Amino acid sequence: MATIALLGNPNTGKTTLFNELTDKYAYVGNWTGVTVEKKMGQLTDSETMVVDLPGIYSLNPLTKDEAVATDYLLTGHPDLILNVTNAGQLKRNLLLTIELLESGIPVVLALNMLDDLQQSPFLFDLPTLAEWLHCQVKGTNARSKQGIAALHANLLQSLDHSAVSPALTLPYPEPVAHAIDATTQALQATHPELPRDFTRWLIIQYMAQNQTIRDYAQRQQLTALTHQTAAFDQQNFEDHIFQTRLTFIEQTLQAARRPNPAMQPNQLTQRIDRWVTHPLLGIPIFIGIFWLMFKLSFDWIGTPASNLLNAWLSGPVTATANHLLSSWGTLPFLQSLLVNGILDGVGGVLTFVPQIFVLFACISALEDSGYMARAALVTDRLMQMIGLNGKSFIPLIIGFGCNVTGVMATRTIEQPKERLVTILISPFMSCSARLPIYSLFVAAFFSRHQAVIVLSLYFLGIVVALVMAKIYQLAFRLKRSSTFMIELPKYHVPRLDIILQGTWDKGKGFVKKAGTVIFAGTVLIWLLSNLSWHGPVTDIDQSLAATLGKLLLPLFIPLGVRSWEVVSALLTGVMAKEIITASMIVLFHLTGRTALVATFSGLFTPLSAYCLLVFILLYIPCFSTLATIKAETGSTKWMVYSAGSSFVIAYGLAVLIYQVGSLFL
Amino acid sequence: MQLFSQDIMVHQLTTHSFQQLDPLTVRRLERLGIRPGSQLTVIRQYPFHGPVILQVDQQQIALRYPVFQALIGGA
Repeated sequence: MATIALLGNPNTGKTTLFNELTDKYAYVGNWTGVTVEKKMGQLTDSETMVVDLPGIYSLNPLTKDEAVATDYLLTGHPDLILNVTNAGQLKRNLLLTIELLESGIPVVLALNMLDDLQQSPFLFDLPTLAEWLHCQVKGTNARSKQGIAALHANLLQSLDHSAVSPALTLPYPEPVAHAIDATTQALQATHPELPRDFTRWLIIQYMAQNQTIRDYAQRQQLTALTHQTAAFDQQNFEDHIFQTRLTFIEQTLQAARRPNPAMQPNQLTQRIDRWVTHPLLGIPIFIGIFWLMFKLSFDWIGTPASNLLNAWLSGPVTATANHLLSSWGTLPFLQSLLVNGILDGVGGVLTFVPQIFVLFACISALEDSGYMARAALVTDRLMQMIGLNGKSFIPLIIGFGCNVTGVMATRTIEQPKERLVTILISPFMSCSARLPIYSLFVAAFFSRHQAVIVLSLYFLGIVVALVMAKIYQLAFRLKRSSTFMIELPKYHVPRLDIILQGTWDKGKGFVKKAGTVIFAGTVLIWLLSNLSWHGPVTDIDQSLAATLGKLLLPLFIPLGVRSWEVVSALLTGVMAKEIITASMIVLFHLTGRTALVATFSGLFTPLSAYCLLVFILLYIPCFSTLATIKAETGSTKWMVYSAGSSFVIAYGLAVLIYQVGSLFL
Repeated sequence: MQLFSQDIMVHQLTTHSFQQLDPLTVRRLERLGIRPGSQLTVIRQYPFHGPVILQVDQQQIALRYPVFQALIGGA
């Protein structure tokens, strides 16, 4: 089966193009020994696979994220590369294009975002570009679907190797060219299995100090290369190679540039940025945007929709299930497991889908609009105070969706210590799995200020993360002068299908978990609540869950918890935070959310309810997050530290708030 | 000391040698299209030596003040 690798700079519309070209896709983990997500899709109406790789500026990686693309070229053996560029910023984008063209793998160049180019005073003649670059060049605008059909046809045509041009050969200065030729000969003599174009590309990348290539050469024992490292570096070959590429790009663009008679200047970005990146208004606007997100999720759309779903699940659905199971003569024990355990537990969690999906839709809209880079900019000053930079803020925001993806998103951070600190503080971001339990408690105790209370928890998570980062800054001796550099893409009006796609990509994990981890957790907690050491019990107070909950209850009394059922539910939350809600429904023997909300009013005060939410916000990350921390840091020690430190912080803060609050309330 | 934010749409500068910068920062700048001799337009400077928004070849880039100073040959 043929494979196309999708490569390009960040902010070139690569993922939008991927979505337009493919009709089925999946995220796949575990890639050459590291856990990172790659997106694989099937080219529409064909058997060809398309691999979407992380956005990169160069094959010489500065981050772990960027190294994935170079690794893929070394080991993935794609049949074709689709290089996506931003047509309005071609000069910079072509630096990567040249590296790809030198590899000898056939390349199709897509000049995407043609609408941005229309705003500039010049256009490009595509046949001239194709002639200079020795590859197919197609113009597209993925957001408006312009040129997609032609690109699709061209990709299929280009997979026919007979139509492919040889690798691009640039006129490098004499010392570099001579060294390339001599080393190619030497390497081919010792490794005749390596294709000539690939060998040449390997040498050029090695000379350009590409560390991933240097590691590869070391592993493969390419001594003809590794023995010349000092000679290459002393002659400053990297600089010669870069300058030659730059000169070639300027000549190519000069030849292809044409005046744009229909230039359509667009001041949208400047007009929005006048306010959004304003030094004084930037932070209040940032907070306002998040406040709006939470109002939509909890007050205006999410909660009303959730209430309707809950009424349907706990009413007609539960009644019908009971009726059917009774009429079929199902054993009472099994009927209780199916209805009181699985249906009420899993169904109880699923009723929170509306809130979670509305929140994810808001985050997707912000991502698609181009606002996220501005969020990094306006928060940079704050992050600088704790030794990090604004780029660290983006993984933290992603962590609002899921801590696992938040931890993985730290791959874009260059400095290892800054990356470690960001990984350690990411679990304090309140992920969507915690939302169901927040929703229950705010409905029970803070019905008039639901959005504000939930927002306060999100901000508390941020504050704890920042305080911990400051402590880590001092402990790890991080420099205050961390480098911050970020591209601010042009704003786009978010497109509905992209928002829907992004919402589903982020939210489907929650739905999937309902059928797997939450299902399993619900069955487990139901069994624990119906079994004792001696067999089945009818009195839940004699169950295993009660024994365990009562044993640990004294530990939780200082933070206002007086029910062993809540303690047992918290224990199951380490598997996945969503399970806490399902566990409570099962342990209190209730039929859904409304009954649980009513039960809480007899067990908690507003203060103790808030303290429990603080504890849930901060305590031990779920198993998936812990496993990701271990994979990303390569250390069990940091995973154990994360679990232990989170528990101590959560417990300490919740007890502090409860004890101090009790003096006044 | 610079106290106020500045919107200086017409403030154009040419970058100098990058010798004051570490190799990693230079490499990052090159990837974003900023090289010695590049023409920059300062779009916005934050107060108290905060980040600076620049325009280079139709794209906007934000960076911290010390790097900006080094780019234009300041101390």
